[in-house]
Amino acid sequence: MSSDVILVIVVGTALAFDFTNGFHDTANVVATSISTGAARPQVAIGIAALLNFVGAFISISVAATVANDVVNADVITPTIVFAGLIGAIAWNLATWYFGLPSSSSHALIGGVVGSAVAAVGFDAVLADGLVGKVLIPAVVAPILAFLVAGIAIGLIYRVVGGQRPGTVTRGFRYGQIISGGLLALAHGTNDAQKTMGVITLALVANGTLGANADPPLWVIVSAAAAIALGTYSGGWRIIRTTGTRIIKMDAAQGFAAQGAGSAVILASTHFGFPLSTTHVINGGVMGAGAGKRLSAVRWGVAGNIIVAWLLTLPTAAAIGGATYGVTRIFGTGALGPVLVTLMALSLIAAAFARRSQRGAPVPAS
Amino acid sequence: MAVVVETKELMQTVVASLIAGVGVTVVFSIAIWGVARFADLSRNERPLAAGAAATLAGLALAVTLAAVVFGIVIMTRK
Repeated sequence: MSSDVILVIVVGTALAFDFTNGFHDTANVVATSISTGAARPQVAIGIAALLNFVGAFISISVAATVANDVVNADVITPTIVFAGLIGAIAWNLATWYFGLPSSSSHALIGGVVGSAVAAVGFDAVLADGLVGKVLIPAVVAPILAFLVAGIAIGLIYRVVGGQRPGTVTRGFRYGQIISGGLLALAHGTNDAQKTMGVITLALVANGTLGANADPPLWVIVSAAAAIALGTYSGGWRIIRTTGTRIIKMDAAQGFAAQGAGSAVILASTHFGFPLSTTHVINGGVMGAGAGKRLSAVRWGVAGNIIVAWLLTLPTAAAIGGATYGVTRIFGTGALGPVLVTLMALSLIAAAFARRSQRGAPVPAS
Repeated sequence: MAVVVETKELMQTVVASLIAGVGVTVVFSIAIWGVARFADLSRNERPLAAGAAATLAGLALAVTLAAVVFGIVIMTRK
């Protein structure tokens, strides 16, 4: 009975994380389309929500990657997963509060690693997977997207320079609808599956599913719905940062950033080298600005974003570990997770209430 | 360390990203250039040159759409 209560809490927390992932990360995907006027905010968010939902059904092959590649799945319990999810949600909400785009996947990985270390020790961590599939890609993703977008925007200006600005701007706005859609689809495919993987892992750990089982249909549908709902809710604070605060973007730069981002994500998907959507699109935005001129990038804002990226793993890990410690104070039953959930819900409600009046939508320019 | 970093996949990703990212965005900008030139040349009553610009724009657009379809295929095969 107690384990079933914990399982229900874990599933609910995983879907809550998926929701924050939707409004946090997908904000990056649609930000450039909105800021350049390629699409009205609600239309861009609506299309991204739909494509995130569709993307979640495309494939289930990476569903358990997060947990299987960075921690030893044999030692994972539903309470460890729960504590890791709380770490990831806390970091997502903190960065949303300050309008900083950071990787939800890294927050999830950090949270699960931290709670697993607190529960079992460092033997629970698969160091090769953590370095090869998380840390190295975290460095490569923004640099690669920066280079691709920077080179692309330089060539784009050479090709269309001297043409009528109205025609050129209209053309790149149409292009952004396609490149933004591709990014949203890729995001749904990647990120919704991570939540599916976490829920499946908890179901296996609870004995509800057998080892190596695929995610059940209800898990796929609920994860897809949660990320789509989160996307539709719109993370306006992060949209503002990515879309207008890093650089003042024209339609060509927006297209270069999204086109470069799509190419980098799809290339990495094809060759099995997973990269963060957030890191890629923000690297692309900085590259598209720097490709025009270096001073076009507000390096102070870019620096804050990079600091947030560096802090994501350790901070989420620390919160995940601390959360596991708090739950264990109340024993191994359901009381700890129940109390932590109530505390987390109170904090989330307070954060939303405080920010809801300040987070006005970004006007399409 | 080489096994941990998966150097081969990393290099393939870098090269493919550069080719696809720069290639597709430049090809799409050629499509826009073609459309803009078509409009200008049509206004100046130069139908042959306008037709050539439109053809170039059409070809570039087709290549861009093919790249998008290829991207979706990659996602579905993951």
